[in-house]
Amino acid sequence: MAVSSRSSTQADPVAQAAGPIAPIRPARWMVVAVLLLGLSMIAHTIVANPTFEWGIVGHYFLSAQVLQGLANTLEITAVSMLIGSALGIAVALLRMSSSRVLAAIGWTYVWVLRSVPLLVQLLFWYNLAALYRALSVGIPYGPAIAHASVNQLITPFVAAILGLGLHESAYMAEIIRAGILGVDPGQGEAAAALGMSHRLALRRIILPQALRTITPPTGNEVISTLKASALVSVLSMKDLLYSVQIIYSQNFRTIPLLIVASLWYLIVTSMLTIGQHVLERRVGRGAGEGRTRRGRRQPRSLRAVTPLRVGMTGEHL
Amino acid sequence: MVEAVDVCKGFGGTPVLTGVSLTVAPGTVTCLIGPSGGGKSTLLRCINHLEPVDSGQVYVDGRLVGYREHKDHRLRAMSRREVAAHRAEVGMVFQQFNLFAHMTALQNVIEAPIHVRREPRSQAIKHATKLLERVGLGAKIDSYPRQLSGGQQQRVAIARALAMRPKVMLFDEPTSALDPELVGEVLDVMRALAADGLTMIVATHEIGFAREVAEQVILLAGGTIIEAGPAHQVLDAPRHNRTRQFLAALSDRRRPERAR
Repeated sequence: MAVSSRSSTQADPVAQAAGPIAPIRPARWMVVAVLLLGLSMIAHTIVANPTFEWGIVGHYFLSAQVLQGLANTLEITAVSMLIGSALGIAVALLRMSSSRVLAAIGWTYVWVLRSVPLLVQLLFWYNLAALYRALSVGIPYGPAIAHASVNQLITPFVAAILGLGLHESAYMAEIIRAGILGVDPGQGEAAAALGMSHRLALRRIILPQALRTITPPTGNEVISTLKASALVSVLSMKDLLYSVQIIYSQNFRTIPLLIVASLWYLIVTSMLTIGQHVLERRVGRGAGEGRTRRGRRQPRSLRAVTPLRVGMTGEHL
Repeated sequence: MVEAVDVCKGFGGTPVLTGVSLTVAPGTVTCLIGPSGGGKSTLLRCINHLEPVDSGQVYVDGRLVGYREHKDHRLRAMSRREVAAHRAEVGMVFQQFNLFAHMTALQNVIEAPIHVRREPRSQAIKHATKLLERVGLGAKIDSYPRQLSGGQQQRVAIARALAMRPKVMLFDEPTSALDPELVGEVLDVMRALAADGLTMIVATHEIGFAREVAEQVILLAGGTIIEAGPAHQVLDAPRHNRTRQFLAALSDRRRPERAR
């Protein structure tokens, strides 16, 4: 089919330059057709089904209550991730410490916070006043300098960021530890041979390179935290989900309002994904993700086995 | 400049160095030759305390490495800061280059002077540029390591080590990971450094280089020094069978197999 009736010893340069014709794959085309059909049917029901009440969705999408709830959700997510990352670095370093006591503390911290469900942790913090009436700062086991009532300190917002932040820090600690372990040990040796202290080497050489491995799972965690923040609705904290719940408890339009919330979560997640992509590019400088001649991304690990399209000059990419 | 006295070092019960003693005079080049696993790398890493010795002492410029001597000759391990300060005086070039991958060549070279010696940035950059030109890479100062060939990377590594103005430079098989064609450019740089009077200890398989440049050649095999002496004696008229064996094996590899 691809070869013309020209003699085989005389290659047609025009045909050569266009490359060989890709093989026809009937099975693949059938799967594509079935999937497209299925998707079109789903899309049709979504548009045509009146109980979705798209009008209500449109009405509440930009309402003040929803936007305020969205702002709270974003704030909780951001603060929790900051707390989680900062504590995560500290705990990761604890776990990798040469002191066995410090390492054990770090391990226990991660173990406890990863074991208890997030919802339970949130409720715990919210009800901290039941365990500790007051919080005081002073000499351990001695007189106090400052004094505060826990009931006043632990507002829903504080409980939310404590619960989410600490829970997040346990996972971030493991991600960061993995990133640091993944850096070539030769880098640390070279830094040491130059007379850099361990802390300096960590800050200037190891952590920047660890960021390349840390960024993708951290992006995951941010998105996870965004959705986990919906749990704070049990603390009566007016995040996006709770705001939507308040609205539909009054007008009984449950589905459209849940769609409003879902659409907002979707939009924010998409923006976070783009942000993650930009960040990955930035921390990857010097390391280089490969691109094929056609500009199509090939993961380095798969390049040898993935069937590639032949390039314009006929060379295999 | 460097003196090792009866150094012993083992890893997990396996002895790697047993009773190694050597002296390196300032301004001279000493080449360590020997089979893999013979202890060459370990000895170099003991000199800048990347590995602590199990027993014995290492002195650099008269000062004991890694330990501080107390009144009754008891030794106390140095603090990490003191060890780091010592390491700043001893430069090391690694077999795998170990350039900082997220920094350009220039940034690699200025990193330690700025952050360890607290040199002002402009001064560090000037010095670094001069060093990179000296190793023949003036045009590549803004390239990342992955954009450079192996020989170029190793030359940047040499410049990076030189930027700290070390008293002695340790080379751990600097050309073993390089294409044969690229070995020459690195050896040229090392030859120039030797001619400038830098004290160098080089673990290498390049016998030709050793013969040309080294004042002292030491054969290290099985964790002990088999033979040590002036280059022309050890390489051309070795006294021990083991030395002869090793040199013969090396030259056999270079010559094509002859029909027997």
